[in-house]
Amino acid sequence: MSLIGKFKDNKILEQIKSHDKEAFIRVYDTNVSDIYRFIYFKIGHKDEAHDLTSAVFLKAWNHIQTNSLESAKTLRALLYKVARNVIIDYYRERSNRQPLSLDDEANPIDIADESQDQAVQADQSADLELIRKKLPLLKEEYREVIIMRFVNDLSLEEMADISGKSRGNIRVLLHRALKALKELVEEEIADRGSVTQA
Amino acid sequence: MTERQLLEKLNNLKSVNPETSWQASNRELLLAQISNSGASSLSAWQVFVINFQSFAKAASQPAFALATFIVVLLSVGVFSHQLFSQAKPNDSLYIARIISEKAKLGVTLDAKSRDKMAVQFATNHAQDISTVLADPEFNNEANQDQVAKLNESFKREIETARTRISYMKAETPAVQPEAMVSIANDDKEDKGVQVSLSEPDLAAAVSVGQTPPVVSVVAVDASSTTEPELASSSSAVEAAEIEGESETEKILEEAEELFNNKDYNSAVDKLKEVDQMLKK
Repeated sequence: MSLIGKFKDNKILEQIKSHDKEAFIRVYDTNVSDIYRFIYFKIGHKDEAHDLTSAVFLKAWNHIQTNSLESAKTLRALLYKVARNVIIDYYRERSNRQPLSLDDEANPIDIADESQDQAVQADQSADLELIRKKLPLLKEEYREVIIMRFVNDLSLEEMADISGKSRGNIRVLLHRALKALKELVEEEIADRGSVTQA
Repeated sequence: MTERQLLEKLNNLKSVNPETSWQASNRELLLAQISNSGASSLSAWQVFVINFQSFAKAASQPAFALATFIVVLLSVGVFSHQLFSQAKPNDSLYIARIISEKAKLGVTLDAKSRDKMAVQFATNHAQDISTVLADPEFNNEANQDQVAKLNESFKREIETARTRISYMKAETPAVQPEAMVSIANDDKEDKGVQVSLSEPDLAAAVSVGQTPPVVSVVAVDASSTTEPELASSSSAVEAAEIEGESETEKILEEAEELFNNKDYNSAVDKLKEVDQMLKK
């Protein structure tokens, strides 16, 4: 992160510590989509992802006020740490949780950008469908690093901070996760090809 | 499937967003919830304190601290000289001027430029001392101690200027008079160059190891410069430099003499001449 970025991050954290609600709402506006996506791809349910996202921001506010969370290097890392804790609590409460579905076929994921060309949208839908189907089959830690790195664009440093691992470990994890996902996707593409030929 | 294609597919997942209506309603809900927990808007003073604290935290980064230190150092070096350059020897800021000049000399890498600058500073100091001593309100019985100190300082400055000029002379490559004449004489008929050096002058200069006498170059056709011409013109420049330095020394001597005779205004004029010569 650049010096200006660090300055802004420090500033906004100090503002929130001083109970500045407007600063916190700005943080919400900037990060709500990323946090929602992170949770959604981890738990696989749209409505619950909404509820948990709300909980993350409220808990983050309380943590910052009481300084009860182990300090994170950046505000974004702090939000992800809270999100991970919220997800752990969610799993704990639902010890008999069902396997991940990333929503059912009846409720496909909406693609937000309506201005895009229909062909592009169709391609995206197909990709989304493919990844949506295969992502839940990955190990949870693989899924987590893929979402953080390739979907939400977190840096290796931030990921290391959030997960408590070293940057080297994160790099290895990412490599393995990508390899595993690639195998799953290629398997699916091969299956589709054989079905079409038949 | 290549890794790149897979990453593109993953990139498409960015289009998964919460619904806009949910975002807006949740925003309101969150605002209401945090308002109940004592949230407020900050005063201007609080914002200032936060900005200062954040800056201090960011500034504690080693790279930032180092960059700030360098910027401050350079700014002091450059701007302090401008600020204190008007300080006179009897001012309290005079010491700051001396320090800033030393700093400026310290950051000048080229030896010749440094010496030239040092001569300029020394003559300026001598000039300022003469101006102060020319003022009858200052130069009276009551300030005898200070006047004596300034007299000492004047001598020291003139000595410094002389030493630096001798360094400058040593740095200027020695020009062999014979070589200058032979180079300059090449093609003199074609190019209209006329070089002359009298034998007694040449012999005298070589025997005592003094500065060679000046070679007079009457006219050079600059439009068709060849290597020998370049050599001859650079030799002429060097000879002119050496002559200028000798001239400067001579004027300094005259200024010193005038100063010793308490003719401060004439000494100032002579020192101004030195200054003008150095600026050329």
